Amino acid sequence: MSALPERPLSMVVGALGGEGGGVLSGWIVRAAELSRYPVQSTSIPGVAQRTGATTYYIEIYPATHEELGGRQPVMALYPAPGNMDLVVTSELMEAGRMLENGMVTTDRTTLVASTHRVYSVVEKSAMGDGLFRADRLNNGAQKLAKRAILFDMLLLAESRRSVLNAVLLGVIAGSGELPIAVETFAEAIRDSGVAVESNLRGFEAGLAYMRGEISAPEGPPEKTPRRAKPSAASLLADVAKTYPGDVQSLVSEGVKRLVDYQGPAYAQLYLERLAPVLAVDRERGGESRKWALTAETGRYLALMMSYEDIIRVADLKSRRSRFERIRKEVLAGDAEPVRMTEFLKPGFDEITSVMPPWLGRPVLKWAMGNAWARDFNFAMRVRSDTVWGFLRLWTLAKLRFYRPRTFRYATEQEAIGTWLAAIKDAAALHYGLAVEIAELANLRKGYSDTHRRGIANFTRILNEIAIPGAKGEADPAWAAEALKTARTAALADPEGDALDRAMASLASGPRATAAE
Amino acid sequence: MERTFAREVEMLRRGDGEYFEGEGILAITKALLQAGVSYVGGYQGAPVSHLMDVLTSDSKGLMAELGVHTEVCANEAAACAMLAASVNYPIRGAVTWKSTVGTNVASDALSNVASVGVMGGALIILGEDYGEGSSIIQERSHAFAMKSSVWLVDPRVNHPRIVELVEKSFELSEASNAPVMMEFRIRACHVTGRFATKDNRKGRFSMNNRIPEPEFSLDRIALPPATYLQEKMKIEKRFPAAIKFIRENGMNEVFPGENEDVGIICQGGLYNSVIRALQQLGLADPFGKSRIPILCLNVTYPLVPDEITEFCAGKRSVAVVEEGFPEYLEQAINAQLRKGNLNTRIVGKEVFPMAGEYQSEVMLNGLARFIEGAVPAGVDLGRVAKVTKFIADTKSLAAELLGAPIPKRPPGFCTGCPERPVFSAIKLVERDPEIGRMHISADIGCHTFSTLPPFNLGNTVTGYGLGLASSAGVKDALARHTISIMGDGGFWHNGLSTGITGAVFNKHDNLLIIMANGYSSATGQQYLPSSTAGGLRPPDTVVPIENALRGVGVKWIRKQYTYRVGKMQKLIKKALTTKEKGLKVIIAEAECQIAKQRREKPLVGKALKAGKRVIRERFGVDEDTCTGDHSCIRLSGCPSLSVKPNPDPLRKDPVASVLNTCVGCGLCGEVADAAVLCPSFFKAEVVQNANAWDRLLDRTRRRVIGFLQGPPEPAEPGAPSDAPVEDIRVAAE
Repeated sequence: MSALPERPLSMVVGALGGEGGGVLSGWIVRAAELSRYPVQSTSIPGVAQRTGATTYYIEIYPATHEELGGRQPVMALYPAPGNMDLVVTSELMEAGRMLENGMVTTDRTTLVASTHRVYSVVEKSAMGDGLFRADRLNNGAQKLAKRAILFDMLLLAESRRSVLNAVLLGVIAGSGELPIAVETFAEAIRDSGVAVESNLRGFEAGLAYMRGEISAPEGPPEKTPRRAKPSAASLLADVAKTYPGDVQSLVSEGVKRLVDYQGPAYAQLYLERLAPVLAVDRERGGESRKWALTAETGRYLALMMSYEDIIRVADLKSRRSRFERIRKEVLAGDAEPVRMTEFLKPGFDEITSVMPPWLGRPVLKWAMGNAWARDFNFAMRVRSDTVWGFLRLWTLAKLRFYRPRTFRYATEQEAIGTWLAAIKDAAALHYGLAVEIAELANLRKGYSDTHRRGIANFTRILNEIAIPGAKGEADPAWAAEALKTARTAALADPEGDALDRAMASLASGPRATAAE
Repeated sequence: MERTFAREVEMLRRGDGEYFEGEGILAITKALLQAGVSYVGGYQGAPVSHLMDVLTSDSKGLMAELGVHTEVCANEAAACAMLAASVNYPIRGAVTWKSTVGTNVASDALSNVASVGVMGGALIILGEDYGEGSSIIQERSHAFAMKSSVWLVDPRVNHPRIVELVEKSFELSEASNAPVMMEFRIRACHVTGRFATKDNRKGRFSMNNRIPEPEFSLDRIALPPATYLQEKMKIEKRFPAAIKFIRENGMNEVFPGENEDVGIICQGGLYNSVIRALQQLGLADPFGKSRIPILCLNVTYPLVPDEITEFCAGKRSVAVVEEGFPEYLEQAINAQLRKGNLNTRIVGKEVFPMAGEYQSEVMLNGLARFIEGAVPAGVDLGRVAKVTKFIADTKSLAAELLGAPIPKRPPGFCTGCPERPVFSAIKLVERDPEIGRMHISADIGCHTFSTLPPFNLGNTVTGYGLGLASSAGVKDALARHTISIMGDGGFWHNGLSTGITGAVFNKHDNLLIIMANGYSSATGQQYLPSSTAGGLRPPDTVVPIENALRGVGVKWIRKQYTYRVGKMQKLIKKALTTKEKGLKVIIAEAECQIAKQRREKPLVGKALKAGKRVIRERFGVDEDTCTGDHSCIRLSGCPSLSVKPNPDPLRKDPVASVLNTCVGCGLCGEVADAAVLCPSFFKAEVVQNANAWDRLLDRTRRRVIGFLQGPPEPAEPGAPSDAPVEDIRVAAE
């Protein structure tokens, strides 16, 4: 007895339904059996298998049946906090869940987790940015685990045309945390007889990483800066001269975007509009605030000026770079034809947007007042890979020269004017308020209904809170807070209930807070 | 169901001198054959689906050899009614279902069989779907055992012991003329293990050796006056017989320990967790040798009075580890001690939670509190406290380091699920001012996921196949529309009789949507009377749902392919606004994607290998036209329609992105179109093994388009290198 280990090794696999966590634990169990160790695994399939989070639990008693001479260890069915030797998760947030449940302890737990993200419905369906942030999690893992092995194993798997759970097995084998020979794990994969070749490829990759033979593959950078058109050169030079380092790259992006969107003259207009903002920012000691005002105004001014009209959409959809990107995205071989169908559904919004103002304004006014017209739109399924389909997009894209004479252009510039004025007024009174007003422009996004709603919310909040605040009619500090509340509320639900509630409570509450 | 269980069936054939290796539920299945059953029936449901799946998918004819009749019953009541065979005849039979919901459905038959009593061994395998991973309301099966006087076996989780107890349970049933229920919790059904197999036994009577004459006896009819006699029999004959058998055959187990002054009485199914917790507290070794004596109740009803008193005699304090509410065992044990004049203190739900599964941490803290209270001689309380404190500290530190709670990850519709589009359509219908928000009487099945984000559709769920029936009271009480939903599983389980005939009879004027995905999908794609399985099932055995509907007098019946969201939207509105009176039924048709993929993936693979022309379809989102408002996701929630950090340096909000798990069901496009969302969606069809014409056409098109697009730009600085991996990057501010 004394010679025998005092407890089984406990390991839990946290995975998402249908991700192959069952296969992974199957391999491990098989490997343990091949090593003649008593082993037990259990799981909780059922509804969790349908894309929810689920776990697999394995216990291995690290003494062979021979050594045990018929004695049977009693094995448990539940992972136990404070009792885990190995915690494996196929995704980053699930690793967080393990930490949260106390499954990872400093005295004995090795944490093996792939750092890629599979976003949950809650994160995905937020109208703005609802993504769970990873940084705290890495830190937590490092602090709570005896040993933490964290890298993007999915990326590695894909680079080897294999699957995640095979890489995970390789990492587990390479970690040496289980008393099972590396070769035995490989044998377990062969035994299963399913996709043996590609699984072994992934297994070897995970192993190689643990042996330090390869490093974790680098994903592409999160942000991809735009390539500057030659015609943007002189403007970019100006930016480099006039703008402080912190905001240079951002403003340059704005310039590049607008040259690409309309042309150098339009980008020039952008800089002319931004210049006074930079000036106020300087007066108000923007430096200490990382030039937040210039940055956010510069960001959203560029986005507002490059609004998505059908010309823009056709332009982007007909580009060579886009065709190449799609071929990559759908994993099409060079020789393989790729047919592309675009789902366009223009209504009066889109039609009037390209009319001249004198025509567009009355037509849209009529359309919005007419139940049939408001919902009218005709479905266009464009085969952009065919010559004829492509020509339709291409010709539309060529209307760019005419854009400044369109109704939509007029209305957008009008909105920009009001918005900029409010920012400038506000900046003189309250820096924070000005930045908030700038951020408000994030509500102007989407298409058709979503877009209409966004514009309506934007205008409403601008008129009821921002402008009064900027003009000093309402306490600016209060307005800054109120703006934040309203903006978040506007993004809380598509029906706009949250915004109505927020505006109501703001209207009823005191219109002042401690001044800046 | 296209899954094959060849390996499992092979396992069931093993005999003397061989070993079984596999999941608990299969070990039980094997045990049934070793016990010589003549018939097995059941209704699918986690965690016991496998039992029926394996027996009915038996292609090698093992069942025929053994003369075992197997039947996938219409519902649990039908399954339980099968036990009637053991009422008159000395034949063993077993039935299975998910409990407690299944036992609720079965309880009519259960009461009758239990009242008249059985001659042959009658065993009911219950999947006790309780706690983590459960998909149903949380109740105990124990109450059924008590009210109907059937015995409840709750075996300790250990393959050899489980197999032994299955055999014993049949004997118990025969010795006491009562059916026996064996409950297995979710993890016990899926636990892997090994045991030495015995040859399968043929039943004395079976399909292969038929009973010459039918038996008739008024005593076996559940009618007065026999019923009064039967009740007396339960008390005077069956109870004592059961108690005697349980004791004499050592079905319950006592594990001695040196701390005679205290003890633990636990349900058999919780024994392993008790041992693990004691190990963590330094009070047991890995082989189950505990310092504190344990009485492991593998039979939780009836209790054996003498076993209780003998175990508690001379103990100051005994913990009762009993999962669920009410605490029947604790009450019974207390009563027994009172009768036996013992003043041993029983500690139960005051240290263990009243409700919920006893997972490791609950068990650990409960036992720790018991020990701290009972102070067994020579136990180091310091260590006990240290263990529990360490875990608590770790958790609070983790919470602090993580900053915010980890978002929940509820289950949802699979990628490409044919039921999702129906709910997208319903959401769009609700946007119509003429219709507005509706009361939706939902039902049990995959489609119950509609009640979760992002759809949040469904106001009530009252039971399997009861979607329509549950709308009866509310439909006329609401100003707006009431609609009901039912799956084809629920339809055949009892929805047709309970819901539809009732609604026709009572002249309901509402809409019922039947989700016809062709299988009992949530339980593992078992066949239903209406299953065609993509033509795999012989057409003459298929009963179309619409025929059944017409048969019971439904006039307004429409079929609609689910993926056509726009059409579905119009049809639903039509059904709600038509002047026509009476029940309206929309049959929302499209095959379960899991079953479809399982059948078609291999075929596509073959075709590709053979060099045949195959078109792979999937959808995508243009990241530069997507403005990141995520309306599309709120109307779909497809796992493969995700988001990724916005590659645009100016934009902050994540853009929508279609992952490579996309099966090309087309919902994204349909929704974008029907809801007039945005132009960012595109459909891409990759022509694999393209023929000469494809290639020629493609080359010409690419040349012309390439010319119009102008000269290729040099690669953008820092642009993605290769492989579409952007969609899985970690988001970092």
